[in-house]
Amino acid sequence: MPSEPTAAAASTNGALSPTMDVAVKIWRVDPETGERALKTYEVEAPEWVTLLDVLDIIKDRVDGTLAYRKSCRMMICGSCGMRMDGAAVLACKTRMADIVAAGHVPVISPMGNLPIVKDLVVDMGPFWSKMRAMKPWLQPGYEEPPEGKEYHVSQERMNVIHKEALCINCGCCVSECNSMESDPDFLGPAALAKGMRFVGDARDGADVERLEEYNSEHGIWDCTRCYFCNERCPKGVDPRDAIAKLGAESIKHGIDRDMGAKHAKWFVKSAETTGWLRETELVPKTQGVVSSIMQIKFAMGLARRGKVPPPFPPHVAADVKEARALRDIVQQQGREGALGHVQGERALSYIEHHTTAGNRHAPEITPGEEPVNRDVGERP
Amino acid sequence: MDAKHDVLVIGAGCAGMRAAIEAFDAGADVAIISKIHPVRSHSGAAEGGINAALGNASEDDPEKHAFDTVKGSDYLGDQDAIEILCDEAPDDVYQLENWGAVFSRTDDGKIAQRPFGAAGEPRTAYAADITGHVLLQVLYEQLMKRDILVYDEWFAWKLVVDEDRCQGVIAWDLMNGGLKTVGAKTVILATGGAGRLYVGTTNAYACTGDGMTMALRAGVALKDMEMMQFHPTTLSPTGVLITEGCRGEGAYLLNSEGDRFLKRYAPNAMELASRDVISRAEQTEIDEGRGVDGSVLLDLRHLGAEKIIERLHGTRELAMTFALIDPIHDPIPVRPGAHYHMGGVDTDVWGKTSLEGLYAAGEVACVSVHGANRLGGNALMETITFGKRAGRHAAEWALANTTVTVPEGAVSDAERELRELLDRDEGERPWRIRDELATTMHENFGVFRREEQMQRQGEIVSRLRERYERVVVEDKGNVFNSDLTQALELGFLLELAECMVVSGLARKESRGAHARPYDYPERDDDNYMRHTLVTWEDGRPQLDWRDVTMTKWQPQERKY
Repeated sequence: MPSEPTAAAASTNGALSPTMDVAVKIWRVDPETGERALKTYEVEAPEWVTLLDVLDIIKDRVDGTLAYRKSCRMMICGSCGMRMDGAAVLACKTRMADIVAAGHVPVISPMGNLPIVKDLVVDMGPFWSKMRAMKPWLQPGYEEPPEGKEYHVSQERMNVIHKEALCINCGCCVSECNSMESDPDFLGPAALAKGMRFVGDARDGADVERLEEYNSEHGIWDCTRCYFCNERCPKGVDPRDAIAKLGAESIKHGIDRDMGAKHAKWFVKSAETTGWLRETELVPKTQGVVSSIMQIKFAMGLARRGKVPPPFPPHVAADVKEARALRDIVQQQGREGALGHVQGERALSYIEHHTTAGNRHAPEITPGEEPVNRDVGERP
Repeated sequence: MDAKHDVLVIGAGCAGMRAAIEAFDAGADVAIISKIHPVRSHSGAAEGGINAALGNASEDDPEKHAFDTVKGSDYLGDQDAIEILCDEAPDDVYQLENWGAVFSRTDDGKIAQRPFGAAGEPRTAYAADITGHVLLQVLYEQLMKRDILVYDEWFAWKLVVDEDRCQGVIAWDLMNGGLKTVGAKTVILATGGAGRLYVGTTNAYACTGDGMTMALRAGVALKDMEMMQFHPTTLSPTGVLITEGCRGEGAYLLNSEGDRFLKRYAPNAMELASRDVISRAEQTEIDEGRGVDGSVLLDLRHLGAEKIIERLHGTRELAMTFALIDPIHDPIPVRPGAHYHMGGVDTDVWGKTSLEGLYAAGEVACVSVHGANRLGGNALMETITFGKRAGRHAAEWALANTTVTVPEGAVSDAERELRELLDRDEGERPWRIRDELATTMHENFGVFRREEQMQRQGEIVSRLRERYERVVVEDKGNVFNSDLTQALELGFLLELAECMVVSGLARKESRGAHARPYDYPERDDDNYMRHTLVTWEDGRPQLDWRDVTMTKWQPQERKY
């Protein structure tokens, strides 16, 4: 192992930063043959390095063939999404000191749900195609900007899309999307967050057309609400919340043909009438009568085992008035659609989480998964 | 020839995309080549804002903007170009907003503007502290709307010159390997800066001066190359940018004694003096032993948590991630770091270079609107206004001219040169040369410059260039061979370093970013109100001069 300090290690006033020995395992993928191998690398690095710095040291001094994307190294360009111990991270945002101190050797692999090209480089083609399918450009409404200048929009109104506008298109959410794993055509969290950025924009006049499209097959209702996208987003965009807002906006505009929308509507109806979820009615309301009849046998089986409460008489919750009062508040404040969306806990914890930035623990240790490579060799 | 277009833009940051959009709207067949995806471009790292005299926060007009810019440039900016920038800026910003840019807002719903360094009015339109990101996104959206073709992850390497005209580009296709030739009636360079010449820079890894060197090799002059701006607030130790917006919002700069030391350097403007002035003040404090571990402190605490979270959220995230400091509770250690090249490819006010068919816009270009020191917020504005102008002119010229020829020899020469590099197995890895270049440029061509250090740097760079002749690329493969492209990038940087040293030695005065306190501490308007121009002849840089264009502002003493 070379012992010379890197230029990065030599701080600009000439003093040397303390160093540490860092070890990582990297899934190497040969682009020609598709062969893969988990290789361990050990390098000396300054204590402040990130995962990206470590990859740089490896590429410089150990193996120049290592491939990964990088550019800004300050969490804004979105190039360096990859997996560490099976979960997507931005390499430039991931400090190594705590991981090294914990004695952990993380496994680095390419992002999931995208075809692997070489080592840690994936083909972002499908990502950009889905982004483009959202027609992500402003389609001005009837209102002209006054005096040929800017549109007048309050900060409060702009705040609706503040989080969606933070997205750097790194793909970390897509990498961990469970829905996309089973349906590769699912539009996915990044594209849908971009969709919300326009649906929520007061200047955009194409809300209904957009929502119609986002409601089609592979659209918003295909999200399984696993919240992995919120969890892995390095910028706090909270794509799942954006999808929820799109759902709420769809229902507000009467776009409720999808079972997902009907399902959601019944929850609300149920809550405001009896304050209680009436499961027996949930299936017909969501899937329709024919589908429900076909499932009667299954329902009877559940009922026999005490899994379905008897439908009559309807059980009314003691505090149903509270549920109704909540509904009234939402209506009085005009907070239907996205405005009624209560920000997820993830968003709140985001600020909280970072106040202890220096004391973050090493990520939970999970054995590195072998990267899934759907179509090596099929790349155009 | 693998493809042919009317207009080919190299680089897809704000200037490149704005140029492509304008050329498309003018009716040209336009395509973009970029070594990274458009939204990865370094324009996205611009934080603080974009300057235009909208007058949303105070009475303002383009003439005030122009005067601030002229003075900020230390009278090296060309005043005709500055007037164009400041006159066209407001409409160009309104257009970005109309396209959907998510600007922050005033109480009456207009685009919000904040105070910035050396600006007489609060003129910097902003989107929290992610203005560049927001503009990059809106331009990419407009690119998608027009379905403009992007040769994504193609590494532009050589300009094709035939019959004294630029007629295309030879590029390495990163994803699939192999050299590709794209012919074009006009080529617009929009490749950004060369901050990677320095250790401790705010610039992305991609900022390796590709377009500057490509132009230089095609016989075009580089202007004012000695003018590298050092940003006063780059985070220790990594060098990432902490926006001037912090000081715009009221942050203080403190030395180890807790003293707002700028009162001794810029008593009126204090933290909002121009960048060169503040960087020198900081470096002096640090050199005289009043720094804190080689840094000074940027104190935001008195702004309060609410303002920091709302307007400087990204800054807080950077400080917490890279310095483990929450600026709500602790001051941020900052120091001057290489940030922006005022110099670049010599162009006129339409982005035209001396080579027919070749244009340049954005940081790669030197029009010059920034002169010896750029004002914060003027870089994004320049990318938009001069990107637009270059796109328009390049399209008009292309639509009036028909032929494109790429001589066979150009392609085979490039193939041979590349093969020679890839076939070499014995020699030195590029990183040592790269690191030595970056550390020595910082030491010998930094905030303060001495004659003997600049001379020594010239010798160091020539030796590094000799070593570069024997550089070894380990990756011999075709797919995503970033080992190869990084070696080619180092080649670009080395030639630029030589141009900078030659220009720096020739300018025997102190002006803007070029500070020589030990031998020429004063500005010398009689002899040096001139641009340096460097061309490349027989493997050596040649120096020439050109007078600054003045319209209505006579040079004055510059104080803040």
